[in-house]
Amino acid sequence: MIFDSYEAYKQADFKPKVCILGSGPAGTTVARKLGGAGIPVVVLEAGSREFSDESQDFYRGATVGDFYFDLDITRLRFMGGSSNHWAGWCRVLDKQDFEPKAWAPDTGWPISRADIEPYLREVHDILELPDFRPDVPISDDIRWVQLIKSPAVRFGEKFAEEVDRSRNIAVVLNTYATELAGDGRRVTGARLWSDGQDAGTFTADYFITCTGGLENSRLLLWSNRRSNGGVVPNANALGRYWMEHPTFEGGNAILADYGEFEVDASNEAFFSPTLAAMERLQILNFGIRLIESPYPNVKRLIADLACTAPDMAEWMSSQLDQRLRCAAQLYVAWEQAPLASNRIELSKADVDHAGVPRVELHWKKSPLERRTLLEGLRLFGTTMAQKNLGRVRIADWIGNGGDYPTNEETAGHHHMGGTRMGTDVLKSVVDANCKVHGMDNLYVGGSSVFCTSGQCNPTTTITALACRLGDHLGKVITV
Amino acid sequence: MSHFLKKMSRRAIVQALIALPALSLFRPAAADPDEIDPDEIIEVNGWILRRSDLA
Repeated sequence: MIFDSYEAYKQADFKPKVCILGSGPAGTTVARKLGGAGIPVVVLEAGSREFSDESQDFYRGATVGDFYFDLDITRLRFMGGSSNHWAGWCRVLDKQDFEPKAWAPDTGWPISRADIEPYLREVHDILELPDFRPDVPISDDIRWVQLIKSPAVRFGEKFAEEVDRSRNIAVVLNTYATELAGDGRRVTGARLWSDGQDAGTFTADYFITCTGGLENSRLLLWSNRRSNGGVVPNANALGRYWMEHPTFEGGNAILADYGEFEVDASNEAFFSPTLAAMERLQILNFGIRLIESPYPNVKRLIADLACTAPDMAEWMSSQLDQRLRCAAQLYVAWEQAPLASNRIELSKADVDHAGVPRVELHWKKSPLERRTLLEGLRLFGTTMAQKNLGRVRIADWIGNGGDYPTNEETAGHHHMGGTRMGTDVLKSVVDANCKVHGMDNLYVGGSSVFCTSGQCNPTTTITALACRLGDHLGKVITV
Repeated sequence: MSHFLKKMSRRAIVQALIALPALSLFRPAAADPDEIDPDEIIEVNGWILRRSDLA
């Protein structure tokens, strides 16, 4: 069932056991799992069926620190959530992303990749993916990795008909849960805002916040303040350890033969470090995206090489005559160190139309990440040269220790952390089952539970974790 | 020079002669072209190259 207003929903006399906030990939997946298990669930979606400027305005906020996107641009507030502008890149976090790393504090998850692998079959169905291919070692340091470009499932569109038919799922649009109320053991209700005004309190046995990697922290910070710590009793880490995937053009490559690597339908190939290389250099995970260069860029690059290695440039030039596809731009996206100082706070000066303080995001890239970028490119360049597959040129600003450019990709629009998973209540918000520490009936879904970011796009892992959470709750909740 | 040698004791001259071969240790070793590894990876002007690329 889908209701376009809270008023319409109230007339249906639906009795949910579970209330899910947010209808993005996490919220929709958990709802479908619970609905399929015969558990009545309501999904409160703050936005409508379509994009609107009015709805997006609730997402405005401020960033302190490094340059970042406007917070009302980097996410979407309508049915299907941010899947509505998802590019569709899919890969599950690496096994090593779940493991603690001695050289990077506060890494490691309380679960392993093996804990989400049983759900990948479902994830493939949901995201319409073929099977993932195993990584292919190129050298001791570098592996070819697969990122699948999926059809970019829009969760709102894809599942609208199924949800509408369901007798166990009620999606209520234009209904904004502004805060949760709690007594330190249980959430007792959600305060609603609908049709431009306060709409009273909503109650259910269980609550799951799936409002996104920025909004989950905002909601819980505000709720906790209003309930005097009664919603997240152990709030030391709440809002903290926020992460992104910084993404910049790291240089160029001239390749002996572009066909040496398996490329996807967009003529792109991806490379990551081996665990041994990460351990040896004490760096984080990264992904190098190799994108075929336009012809004028190739000529410019060979001219640059000619100043340093004329014979090599001449050989490359002759290759260019025979094969136009022999140079590439290298884009690097890397794992961000989980730092407590990268955090979401509530604005002290600005509130949205419902009176909820807006997000103030504090975000800075760390020296460890800068080293990961440089050493990662060196690893890739060394592998290319050693194997005689090509030659790499590192961008000047990276080699010279210059500032990050402000006119490039910047990051992946991947909002991770803030309600991270863990066993230490001082450094985490939810346990291994995504249940808020100390609370009996409050769970969190989405990338805000990520402990580390790895290097790949998060939607596949978000969906797998949501399947796992749905399965867990299906066993916990009795109808 | 001969005046300098006359002033030195026989013992000092012998000690100096014994020490002479060790002086080469303080001299930078001249690159032996046969010992340069053409496959060595080097970084020049941002390029990651094999040394042989510079030939």
